[in-house]
Amino acid sequence: MPKELQTQSSIAVSHSTNEMKGGGAKALRKKYRDPQHLHPVVNTIISVLLGILAVMCIFPFFYVIIISFTSEESIVRNGFQLVPKDWSIDAYHYLWGMKEQLFRSYGVTIFITIVGTIISVFMITFYAYAISRPQFKYRRFFTFLAFFTMLFSGGLVPTYIVVTQFLGLKNTIWALILPLAMNAFYIIIMRTFFLKSVSESILESARIDGASEWRIFFQIIFPLSLPGIATIALFSTLGYWNDWFTALLYIDEPNLVPLQSLLMKIEANLEFMRQNMDVAIMQSSLFNTIPQESAKMAMVVIATLPIAVSYPFFQKYFISGLTIGGVKE
Amino acid sequence: MKKRLILLLALVLTIGTILSACSGKDSATSNKEGKDGQPYEIKWYTIGTPQKDTDKVFKEVNKYLEEKINATVKMTQIDWGDWAQKSQVMINSGEPFDIIFTNGTEYVQNSQKGAFLAIDDLLNKEGKDLKEALDPALLEGIKIDGKIYGVPTNKEAARQTVYTFNKRLVDKYNFDISKVQRLEDLEPMLKVIKENEPSITPMATFKAYLPFDYVFNNEMPFAFAIDGDREHVINQFESDLAMETYKTMHNYYKAGYLKEDAATSKDSWPMDVENWFVRMGDSQPYADSLWTRAAKYDLVSVPAEEPTTFNDSVSGSIQAISATSKNPEKAMEFLNLLNTDPYLRNLVDKGIEGVHYEKNEDGSIKDLPARIDRYNLPTYSLGNHFILNLYENDPKDKWEKFKEFNESAKPAPTLGFHFNSDPVRSELASITNISKEFYPALATGSVDPEEYLPKYNEKLKEAGIDKVLKEIQKQFDEWKSEQK
Repeated sequence: MPKELQTQSSIAVSHSTNEMKGGGAKALRKKYRDPQHLHPVVNTIISVLLGILAVMCIFPFFYVIIISFTSEESIVRNGFQLVPKDWSIDAYHYLWGMKEQLFRSYGVTIFITIVGTIISVFMITFYAYAISRPQFKYRRFFTFLAFFTMLFSGGLVPTYIVVTQFLGLKNTIWALILPLAMNAFYIIIMRTFFLKSVSESILESARIDGASEWRIFFQIIFPLSLPGIATIALFSTLGYWNDWFTALLYIDEPNLVPLQSLLMKIEANLEFMRQNMDVAIMQSSLFNTIPQESAKMAMVVIATLPIAVSYPFFQKYFISGLTIGGVKE
Repeated sequence: MKKRLILLLALVLTIGTILSACSGKDSATSNKEGKDGQPYEIKWYTIGTPQKDTDKVFKEVNKYLEEKINATVKMTQIDWGDWAQKSQVMINSGEPFDIIFTNGTEYVQNSQKGAFLAIDDLLNKEGKDLKEALDPALLEGIKIDGKIYGVPTNKEAARQTVYTFNKRLVDKYNFDISKVQRLEDLEPMLKVIKENEPSITPMATFKAYLPFDYVFNNEMPFAFAIDGDREHVINQFESDLAMETYKTMHNYYKAGYLKEDAATSKDSWPMDVENWFVRMGDSQPYADSLWTRAAKYDLVSVPAEEPTTFNDSVSGSIQAISATSKNPEKAMEFLNLLNTDPYLRNLVDKGIEGVHYEKNEDGSIKDLPARIDRYNLPTYSLGNHFILNLYENDPKDKWEKFKEFNESAKPAPTLGFHFNSDPVRSELASITNISKEFYPALATGSVDPEEYLPKYNEKLKEAGIDKVLKEIQKQFDEWKSEQK
């Protein structure tokens, strides 16, 4: 269920950006063309449609919050309700009971999200900047190298072999950071962004003034490309925050399990229990780890809320980044 | 162009150096371990939620093992729900480790693939005591192409499906459950419960049970009869029994004895919620007291069939030695000890005496809170049950009863036969899909079998069920002739 909810909420994110984009285009039109161009009726219809869409996106999450505040008794008797008969904060009490693991996982998630995003942004921008400069001789080769991985990937097992046996990352925090750090698609986006937004003449003047390549990158390119960088930073933040699969593969150590992975584990254990009732009945340890319905929803809430809250801060860059960064050559 | 080639060459060379460096290091360490007097570290993966005190307990374990067999063990638990996917990736990637927990079809497939080591020779040398301790039926049942690929857990080798009742309600209405044998016998009781107990769902969602020996599982239409013709594979959904059973189930469903969403429901009906009257389950000796303990209210069961030794009941828990093990002999020595040495077995299972459990004067034990909170291992997945200490509320003859139960069971027709599905892979794929569609609805009585059962069988025909049946029969006959 959390997986579904996550995808739903990520749909919610992308939908609302679409909406924002539409709104932005509307505003533009109003500014430069006939202000009365959009007929009020059309305007109303579009607004209502988009409004419904927005509600549809937010509703599931809203529902999850309500269920997390419903008493378990009420869920068992009446199922999920929009306005439950009994409210309760038992679910959050329950989570407080497992605070040790929860805080630990929160810490891991925050750490990999911050460090991962920083590493990821630097790796991607360095690569993308290099292949965006015509002075770089092998840029075609390296562009192709990145592009190639978008078409063909090694697959799960070879990736696993590389990470665990060649790099020896199993059960280290780096196993959660490095496999996600590089992303060919973002490289292509950033390359296009650098090509479009930074004109060669600025760089030339910087060079004439005696700036080194490093200085050019950090003092000129970086500030100029902030919208694009913020976009991929947000993408990687979301990617790291929501990632549970790498932890499933590479982490056995309970101390290193990130939040989303913890959620997935609980859900997967529940599924296992359903399919193997005979084993489950004999396993008190399994029963003990299974939270009640409302507690599961409460976990979804605390796992999703921070990222949802941080979204508005990125939004400004995100929109301009998307509109500019779209591949157009 | 030339430069690009040179660059590529350089890249390949670099990668090559890195790779060889890695493998070089590997072989160096493996030489050091084990052979020159230093204790060999056995890597052991097993199922279950990782526990906080594992390191503490295994320090003790290693102290003991170093003395006994000059080895140490690193046990890693993989959580229940992650197990299937994670263990499969580990096996497929050829990761070096020594022992891994496995069961059922996973065991069969990985053995056929060559991921596990055939341990017949090891069992005769390093595992001699172990072989003697095991129920022969277990070893017979897990043979694949005549070879043994893992150490089965010595516990109940047979399976017996039972109807389990909520005892409070049975007593309240004075039901005579001893007469229950078939699904139809439940009818009068369900009716009373439905009328008088509004907060109770008469039947916890279960799928009606057809007593056959299944080649894959009860969803797939390939089965051998347990009584009567045990030599020929049939589609059990074409039997009269299926029609009858599903009709009864459908009547129950219409009468509202099951939840309406039975076919799609994922409700697991946890025992500790008292909202059901009857359910089905797999029994073992003293299962009622076990379940009562889990549920915290009284349960009582009646058998729905005679105990039978099936392939999946013997392969429920197996420790296999990986083909990537660098020292299989040591791994076997450890498994041998684990299954025959009561001190080691209890240490691994229950933890440290005085910390995780207490021993009473009569030798029975009692869990301390630390065992529940910090070292709660799944007993069934570890090894021989018959050398485990008994709990103070366990009956004294528990393990004797287990042995009796195993001896009383009769072998299923396909015990030891493992079908190789390669020749009919595509047919099986579509049959699986069809079964997923029809089976839950039929077995929970959600649809009328008069209409849907023929439809189901027709679809199976179209999907090529006959070809699969023929292939199974062929392999079965071959296997049978080898047995004699």
